[in-house]
Amino acid sequence: MASFTASHVSFSAVPCSFKQNQVSNSRIASLSFSGKGFSSRKLPVLRFRVACAAKPETVNKVIEIVKKQLALPEDRDVSGESTFATLGADSLDTVEIVMGLEEEFGISVEEESAQSIATVQDAADLIEKLLEK
Amino acid sequence: MKLHCFERTFFHSSSSLTPIQLPSPMETHLWYVKPSEVKSGSLLNQYLDILPPCERENVLQMRGEELRKSALLARALVRTTIARYQINSHSNPRSLKFRKNLHGKPEVQWQFRDDQHPPPLHFNISHTTSLVACGVTTNAQIGIDVEEKHRSIKHNILSFARRYFSKHEVQFLAAISDPQVQRMEFIKLWTLKEAYVKALGKGFSGAPFKTFTIRFKGVMEGGFITLEDLSPKASEIVVDSFDDPADLTSNWQFSLLELANSHYAAICTEKHGAGSGKRNAPGKLTVWKTVPFLEDECVSGTAAVKIICGVQ
Repeated sequence: MASFTASHVSFSAVPCSFKQNQVSNSRIASLSFSGKGFSSRKLPVLRFRVACAAKPETVNKVIEIVKKQLALPEDRDVSGESTFATLGADSLDTVEIVMGLEEEFGISVEEESAQSIATVQDAADLIEKLLEK
Repeated sequence: MKLHCFERTFFHSSSSLTPIQLPSPMETHLWYVKPSEVKSGSLLNQYLDILPPCERENVLQMRGEELRKSALLARALVRTTIARYQINSHSNPRSLKFRKNLHGKPEVQWQFRDDQHPPPLHFNISHTTSLVACGVTTNAQIGIDVEEKHRSIKHNILSFARRYFSKHEVQFLAAISDPQVQRMEFIKLWTLKEAYVKALGKGFSGAPFKTFTIRFKGVMEGGFITLEDLSPKASEIVVDSFDDPADLTSNWQFSLLELANSHYAAICTEKHGAGSGKRNAPGKLTVWKTVPFLEDECVSGTAAVKIICGVQ
């Protein structure tokens, strides 16, 4: 589920939010302000992430590594929201992907952290967190 | 010899499942499906039909037809398999409920008033796009893993092993000069390690791969014997755990097989009544190839099941 915070809205990591098919995704809640002081038109549907979402370059690099590991066709649509499971990664693929990320970014990922990675975005966020250290 | 194994093939009208008795405590049942052999659209719809909405949604979310099919077969296999055992007369695969334990391992949520004594059936599944398997035991934790024999590893095997496997296992792999053989031994080792972690049910981080060694009794220290060299009856696969001395190797037994000429399958089950130093008879394994609702074939003792190590 998307989580919301007023403090940080990141648009850069989720350009795909504005695509038609994302708008129809029932997981995204729509925000609309109505009532005094606001116009009655609905705001566009936005995805909010808690502060420090990963940079798009990081997300794209993760996507590249995932596509290579899973031998996905070039036209397969993979985004930050994609889960490894639905892309067909089994445990060995996941471990290989994590190892690929470790090599690409020069980081070390502990098993506990690796186990919590479900989506491409999770991986990108974890990478940036580890790079900050 | 079990009676039903004399008749190798059963054909049924659709929607019927051959009932079967639970395995005895020293026995394991293994059921597998090959997605390539399930071609009927109406059969696949039947499988979809026995799933609850959330499982159906999970299946349909898989990206790609092959992935959807193997995900569907995995759920259909586990439901129909458990339904066969007719626990407390429940034989409807649709009515089974599942939940995850504390660490995320799937288990059956038995629907009985007296929840104090849940039935002793344990199961574990594993799937690739080309084979889906479900193992069943009575009163024993079980973990299974299947991998394609010819699966490609993107990384250098030894780099991968140094990062994730134990020192002993790295030595074992490093001693193999032929890269093809090394890759296959790596895959066998991977399936055994996965099966162990799944049997423990603590999740990948509950028993990090580096903290235990799987080895084959009979291998000289620092030397190398491929599993093909070992006689299945004479050898044993054992686990040494560094982190958890309470997790004795004598608690777990392993089997390693080649299924349908295409896959390695590792099975790890809990041993009971194992006295220290006592040599236990290897457990019995019965294997069925199935297309749920359509056809079951007992393939134990045929070319479809090659025992590499561990069981009779």
